Amino acid sequence: MSAPRRVVVVGGGVTGWSTAAALKRRVPLLDVTILPLAPPAEALADRIATTLPSIFGFHDDLGLGLDDTVLRTGSAYRLGTLFRDWVQGQPDYVHAYARHGEGMGSAPFHQLWIRAALAGTAPPFDTFSAAAAMARAGRFVLPNGDGPFGAHGVGLTLDLPRYTAMLVAFARHVGVRSQEGALAGVERDAVGSIAAVVLGDGTRLTADLYADCSGPAALLHGLLDAPREDWRGWLRCDRLVLEDLVPPPADLPVLEQVTATARGWQWTGAMQRGAVYREAEGNARGGAIAFDAGASIEPWRHNVVAIGDAAVTIEPLEWSNLHLAHSAIDRLIAMLPAGAPHPLERAEYNRQALAEARRVRDFVLLHYVTARRDEPFWRDMAEMPLPDSLAHTLRLFRARGRLPFYEEETFDRDSWLAVLLGQGVLPRHLDPLVDSVPPAEAARAMAAFQTAIAQAIHPLPTPAGFRAAQARHLYERA
Amino acid sequence: MIDDRLQRIVIVGGGTAGWMAAAAIGKIAGRLPGLSIELVESDEIGTVGVGEATIPQIVLFNTMLGIDEAEFVRETNATYKLGIEFVDWTRIGHRYVHPFGFYGLDMLGVEFHHFWLKARALGDPTPLDAYSLGIVGAQRGRFAHPRPDQPNSPLSKIGYAFQFDAALYARYLRKLAEASGVRRTEGRIVSVAQDDGNGHVTAVRLESGAEIAGDLFIDCSGFRGLLIEGAMGSGFTDWTDWLPCDRAVAVPCTLGGDRVPLTRSTARSAGWQWRIPLQHRIGNGYVYSSAHLSDDEAAATLLANLDGAPLAEPRQLRFRAGHRDRAWIGNVVALGLAGGFLEPLESTSIHLVQSGIARLMALFPTRSFDQTAIERFNRDTAQEYLDIRDFLVLHYKATERDDSAFWNYCRMLAPPEGLRDKLAMFRSSGRIFREHQELFTETSWLSVMSGQGIEPQGYHPIADLLSDEEALQRLKHIAQVIEQTANAMPLQDDYLRQIGCDLTPARQAS
Repeated sequence: MSAPRRVVVVGGGVTGWSTAAALKRRVPLLDVTILPLAPPAEALADRIATTLPSIFGFHDDLGLGLDDTVLRTGSAYRLGTLFRDWVQGQPDYVHAYARHGEGMGSAPFHQLWIRAALAGTAPPFDTFSAAAAMARAGRFVLPNGDGPFGAHGVGLTLDLPRYTAMLVAFARHVGVRSQEGALAGVERDAVGSIAAVVLGDGTRLTADLYADCSGPAALLHGLLDAPREDWRGWLRCDRLVLEDLVPPPADLPVLEQVTATARGWQWTGAMQRGAVYREAEGNARGGAIAFDAGASIEPWRHNVVAIGDAAVTIEPLEWSNLHLAHSAIDRLIAMLPAGAPHPLERAEYNRQALAEARRVRDFVLLHYVTARRDEPFWRDMAEMPLPDSLAHTLRLFRARGRLPFYEEETFDRDSWLAVLLGQGVLPRHLDPLVDSVPPAEAARAMAAFQTAIAQAIHPLPTPAGFRAAQARHLYERA
Repeated sequence: MIDDRLQRIVIVGGGTAGWMAAAAIGKIAGRLPGLSIELVESDEIGTVGVGEATIPQIVLFNTMLGIDEAEFVRETNATYKLGIEFVDWTRIGHRYVHPFGFYGLDMLGVEFHHFWLKARALGDPTPLDAYSLGIVGAQRGRFAHPRPDQPNSPLSKIGYAFQFDAALYARYLRKLAEASGVRRTEGRIVSVAQDDGNGHVTAVRLESGAEIAGDLFIDCSGFRGLLIEGAMGSGFTDWTDWLPCDRAVAVPCTLGGDRVPLTRSTARSAGWQWRIPLQHRIGNGYVYSSAHLSDDEAAATLLANLDGAPLAEPRQLRFRAGHRDRAWIGNVVALGLAGGFLEPLESTSIHLVQSGIARLMALFPTRSFDQTAIERFNRDTAQEYLDIRDFLVLHYKATERDDSAFWNYCRMLAPPEGLRDKLAMFRSSGRIFREHQELFTETSWLSVMSGQGIEPQGYHPIADLLSDEEALQRLKHIAQVIEQTANAMPLQDDYLRQIGCDLTPARQAS
C-alpha cells in the first residue's frame, strides 16, 4: 500500500467541513469526499459557538482572513470568560488569554502578587491583565503594537449557521466533493479496517483514510472497538441545555459570563446561553442533551481517525470543544503517512492526542476542585481523588506557586494562574526568589502597572465601534 | 509564617561546574537578604576540564550572566563553533557535519528535508550539508553571528557556540561570582558531617580543621561525588552496555591543519578522537573502550594523529557512562560530573551543568526542602540524561563499520526503545518526532540519521505539491543563496582579530 490519496469525511457540522476543507486546502493532492450528515445535538464541537484564540491559527493555515471568517459570518470577538460564584465570598474573576503583570529581576510577576496577597494587600489578580481590564471596561482592540495590548489572545463566538455556510462554500471552492445521502452501512476488510461506507441508495464510498466527524456516536470509529477512557468519575456533569440567542445582543459582549449553580454552571455569551449540570438520579428532564465525559485512547485506529466528539467528549467549560477538533486536524495533516502507513505514526498521533485531551480535562476539572460552595454536589467535588497529573500540578502550586511543564498543553501558564488565583488558591509558601525584590518596590511597580493599563484603556473603542471601523476599512479596500 | 529561607549555600568543588553554579546563583539569588554563598575548592585537586566544546545553549547562559561576548572570547582563548564534523563514523573515508541552526527553508508548512528527500528520489545527489549555511561557511573557515532580524537571509538560520579553555572559563566565571558576593575558601575536604535525624549534610570539614556549615550543598566535586554518593549514597545508573567507552587520553598540541570553526570527531578502531581548535592551541583526546584497546595503544594512536606538536604529556581519564539515580537528595544537589557522565561526543557536558542550574533555580528550595520539587528535579534530570544517551547511541549504532571488534559490538547492539522507534519512524517516512522538549532538535536528529546513512523510504506527501521540476529548481536556488552568503561571511580569524584577540600560537617548551 502506498501513501493515502483518497479520504472520506463523515459528518456535516463545523468539524466535518473544517476537516474536509483543511485536508483539501493544505494537501491538494488528496481526493477528499465528504458525507455531510447533519450533526447530532450531542456533538458539542459542532454545537458550541464559543471558541479559543487557536481558531485564528486554523484560519491562517487555510488562508482565510478576518473579512471572511469574522465580518461576513457575523461572528463576535471575545477576550475571555468571567467566572462568578465559583467560590463563595470571593469576587468574580476574568480568565483572559493574556499575560498578567511584569516580572522583576529573577522573580516572576505572579510570585510578587502572591506575596502581596498573603500579606493581604493585593488587588485582584485579573486587574493586572490588560486584556481582562479592557474586557471588563467593555472595550476591544485586536492585538497590535508593543504596548499593553500587543499580545493578548482573541477568540470568536461563531454565528454557527453563517460560519458553516462559509466553510461549505470554501471547501467546495478548493475542491472538496460532497456526496449527499444517508449512511446505510459500513464494510470491513479482513484485518478490521474500513473497506467502504455504503449509502442508502447503494453508493459505496471507498478511501484510504476515513475521518469520523459524526459526533459522539462515532458511526465509523465506534465499530472498531477502540478503548475509551471514562472521565465521569471526575467530570460529573452530564447534561447540557443550549439555547441560541435570536437575534444576538446588539453590543456583542466580549466576555462569556459563567456562573456556578447548585449542580453545575450556566452561561450567557454573544450567541448562545446554556446550562451544564449533573442530572439528579431518576430524573430524565426532556430537552437536555446527555453526554458522557471521556476520550478515546486510540482516536486513530486502523484507517479511521476520529475527530471532534467522536474522539473526545468534554463539557464546554473553557470552550475547548472545537479547539480539540482543530488540533486533531492539524495533527493529522502533520502526520499524514508518507508511504505505507506505519503503526508508529498512529501510536505517536494517539499519544499526543490523549496527552492533549487529558490536560484539557485537568484544566476544566481545576475549576470544580478549587471551587468552594456549600451544596452537596460541590462538597463531593472538593473531596474526590484527582488524576495524577492534576494532583501533581496542585501539589506543586500549593507548595510554592510553581507550575509544572506538560506536553501538549492547551492552556498556558497565565491561564492556569488566572483560574488558580482567581479562585483564591494561594500557595502555603513563597518562592524564595521573590525576596530579591523588596515588597515596597514591588508594590510601587504594581501600582504603576495598573495606572498604565487604565490610561491605555481610556481611548479604546467599544466592540461595536471597533467592528464598525473594521468593516468600513475592509469595504473601502474592496 | 516561620522563616525557613536558605541562609548558607555551599558549593563543593571549583571546576567548570562549580564556578558556573557560583556565577549563576550569585547573579540570580545574590540579592536575597541574609543569604551567603560560599565555594570550597582545593588548589591541589586538578579539574578534569576536558569539556572545552559547547552547544548554542551556552549563549543563553552567558547572556543571563550579562557577559560581554568579545571580552569573554578574548579571556578564554575561545573560538567560534558552528557544528561538529564527524569523520569516518559511517564508514572510513566518509564525513558529514552536524550543524547548529536549521537546514534550507521550510516550504508549504513542511520541513525542508522532505523536499530534499524528494530531490534525492529524483536522482539529485546534492548532500544535505549543502543546504546549511553553518556547514558551508564553516568549511571555508568563516563565521558570522545569526541575524534573526533578517528572516529571509540564511543567516537567520545559523546557530553558534564556543570552544574554549575550560580552566580559563572557570577563572573568568570566578571573577563574576566573586563580584556578586560569592566567597571562596581554599582547602581540601577531609570529612562530611551529617544530621543524625534526616541525614542532611550539615557541614564539611577541611584539612585545616575549619568547618564550613550550610543549608544547601551543591556537589561539584567531580566523578567521585563526594557528597551525593559519598555522604548520601545516591547509587548510579550504569549505561556502559549502551556506551562502552570508559576511558580517554587527552593532550593539547600546537596549531596546525585547517582552521575551521568546527569541533571534529574522528572515529577510531575502539572509539573516537576529538579535535577542538582554540585561538592558540588545539585540544585533542581519544575516547575509547578499555575492553577493546589498551591505554598504551590509545596514547600511541592519539600522538600519531595530531595536527601539531604535543604541548604536554598525555593525561589519562577514567569514567563510566550513566548518572546518579537521584541528583538531588535531602539538601545535596549534584551538578556536572558529580551528577553523571556522558562522553563529550556531542559536547553536552557543560550544557548538563547549565540545565541542572536552571532546574535548581526554577525549584529553588527553602530549608524545609519540599519533596515534590525534589522528585520533579530528579525526574527531569534523569529524562535529560536518557534523551542525550539515545542520541549518542545513535552515532555508534548507525554505522557500516565492521573493521574492529568494537564497531561490531556497537553496530549489533539492540537500540534502546526510544531510539528504536525514532529509527523506525525515520526509515519509513523521513519523519522525526521530538518529545518532551528534548535537547536535540529535529535538525540534529536529521543530521546524524541521514549523515550516518539511514535512508528513509518516503517523505511527506505535501512535498509532492511542488512539481519535480519546481522542487529541483527551488533546492538549487537555496543552495546557491547559501553558497553566496557563505562567501560573504568573514574569515573566523579576521573576526577574532577584529574583536581584539591575540592569535599568537602556543609553542613547545623545548
